[in-house]
Amino acid sequence: MVKIDHVYFGYCRETDTLKDVNLHISAGECVLLCGESGCGKTTVTKLINGLIPHFAENCSLQGEVTAASLDVAQTELYELSKEIGSVFQNPKSQFFNLDTDSELAFALENEGTDPVYIRARLAETVHNLHIEKLQRRNIFSLSGGEKQTLAFASVYAMNPKIFVLDEPSANLDYEAIEHLREQIDVLKAEGHTVIIAEHRLYYLTDFIDRAVYLKNGQIVRSFTHEEFLSMPDEYRVALGLRALKPTSIDLPKVRQEGTELGLSVEGLSFSYGKKVVFKELTFSTSPGEVLAITGPNGAGKTTLIRCLCGLLREQAGTIRLDGKRLKLKGRNKASFCVMQDVNHQLFSDSVWDECKLSSRDCEDEVIERILNDFDLLRFKDKHPMTLSGGQKQRLAVATALVSNKKLLIFDEPTSGLDHAQMMVVSSVVRKLADDGHIVLVVTHDWEFLKCACDRVLELKSYIG
Amino acid sequence: MDKEMHIDPRTGIILLLLSNIIAFAQSVLWVNGSWVCILALLMFLCGCGRSAAKFLTAYLLLLILQYKLIPVAPKFIATSFSIFVNYSIMMYPCIIIGILMIRKTPLRHFIVALRKWHLSTNFIISFSVALRYFPAIREEKGHIWDAMKLRNIHGLQRMECMVLPMMVSAINTADELSAAAVTRGIENPAPKTSLVELNMSILDWIYIGMGFIFVFLAIYIK
Repeated sequence: MVKIDHVYFGYCRETDTLKDVNLHISAGECVLLCGESGCGKTTVTKLINGLIPHFAENCSLQGEVTAASLDVAQTELYELSKEIGSVFQNPKSQFFNLDTDSELAFALENEGTDPVYIRARLAETVHNLHIEKLQRRNIFSLSGGEKQTLAFASVYAMNPKIFVLDEPSANLDYEAIEHLREQIDVLKAEGHTVIIAEHRLYYLTDFIDRAVYLKNGQIVRSFTHEEFLSMPDEYRVALGLRALKPTSIDLPKVRQEGTELGLSVEGLSFSYGKKVVFKELTFSTSPGEVLAITGPNGAGKTTLIRCLCGLLREQAGTIRLDGKRLKLKGRNKASFCVMQDVNHQLFSDSVWDECKLSSRDCEDEVIERILNDFDLLRFKDKHPMTLSGGQKQRLAVATALVSNKKLLIFDEPTSGLDHAQMMVVSSVVRKLADDGHIVLVVTHDWEFLKCACDRVLELKSYIG
Repeated sequence: MDKEMHIDPRTGIILLLLSNIIAFAQSVLWVNGSWVCILALLMFLCGCGRSAAKFLTAYLLLLILQYKLIPVAPKFIATSFSIFVNYSIMMYPCIIIGILMIRKTPLRHFIVALRKWHLSTNFIISFSVALRYFPAIREEKGHIWDAMKLRNIHGLQRMECMVLPMMVSAINTADELSAAAVTRGIENPAPKTSLVELNMSILDWIYIGMGFIFVFLAIYIK
């Protein structure tokens, strides 16, 4: 179904992103592409769905790729799209319409399909994927998980032979990943060929027929299903792969009683109009401790951290830091949040200015020391946007330390990271706690939670 | 209300154009006033009864301002307000029909309508992507605003700081959005079909007819 023969590829003419890649995938097979970040697995998916070479400028491509009996390089993207469906990692940027029904029909309408067939196919799609509750909705009212489900469904509606999924779980929570798993199961049962590039592996182990491991743009190993699952843990970590089984957590629960030193939250309540987000929430955490905040979508994690950071006024309750009650302004001064999309919080044109922006009176030596601690000093004249994702994240943390913030909150800091990168984030978080900061982490990443956090606060959807 | 009527997006666009002509033809008050009432009736028929009532009341207030209050008001107030009030009254039909379309016509219907008129695909795609982008920007702006509050960035500096993250996200979004678009066959030259069927009803024709009558009245009755 897919044949990749002796492919060499580079995004610019000098360097090779892929070197002599050979991969044959037969119809109905489900193949996982895995490896560390930057190993070339996303690039391989682009070879198959035709984004390479049709959607890459100035690239160099040698070798041959055929998919669904089409020569990818010689076939127009809109012809390829009938046979090869693609789902990408960012649920936010896969939509053209403002309502879900239009989105589902979008691809079929583009092909010029008969409306009678479209209607029938959409009914079938809704039924097979169990997405009744996504019908007739405004897309901007959907959660991230629901958006990804919809993106998946809109590709499914086209009924392509091959599905190419590029890190589909990167921005999803636990529940949404379950849903994704069920959807891939449907594909498999219907005999589609599925190719998945992914970091998070535990949800895929049931149905992959083969796992292909890439390193530095080359296919280094290919595992059968059994070989892959029986891989010893040390070997897996050496390859830089995430856990193969769901991680079980037995961390202690968050403390309820107040604390003299650290953050104390007493009877905190918030609601939007009549909809209660949380009510009478009480917990505390001390410096040196990393507290994980988990819970399903809509349980109020974002609302809680916005409240703690002083971006949202609480409706009832008290928040104390080191025994002192802090109102909105005070919390705003004392806290910082590293956002999920860290691009939203970098504003300057160099790493150094970014730190200066946070506090004009901070001494240069202090900034130097902080940058050095985060391995950023050598980039001090570089533009923040030229840094890697992890470096940007650390720069955001550095800006918080420059302005002397006590309470540091991370919102999903490990989405889409490989094992090594996750360990780096984990060590940053631990170091901050060891230096006496109060650290809160909102996360769905159980593997990260296990190695970086001390206690867990689980928020539940408030019903009543 | 199950039996609410609706107008075809094409009718909406035509009425908007005609209303513009009526507005700039400097029509006499009764022409403008009756056209406003007729459009408010259309709003009511389309299920926006409350808005229709609100718009009529506001129109009435504007008229009172223009003809009862401004003539007796001190000169300073009269000169500063009369242009605003005068133009509001003139443009009122355009506002009503515009609001009605925003409320009741989904983006997708618009696009189908534009396609039926055989406008160029390039125009339609850029138009629809631009419209789709507004709510996305609102979301982004919220995040960036939050980030600036946490960094203690105030005043004019905010405007400056808004630029970089907005540009970065626009570039990323444009890239990802187009990748998703081309893999869903947006470039397919085949004539596109649509689940949405647009039909001109009697209501549409009546309103277009009335629109032309009012254009005539607006131009020839002075």
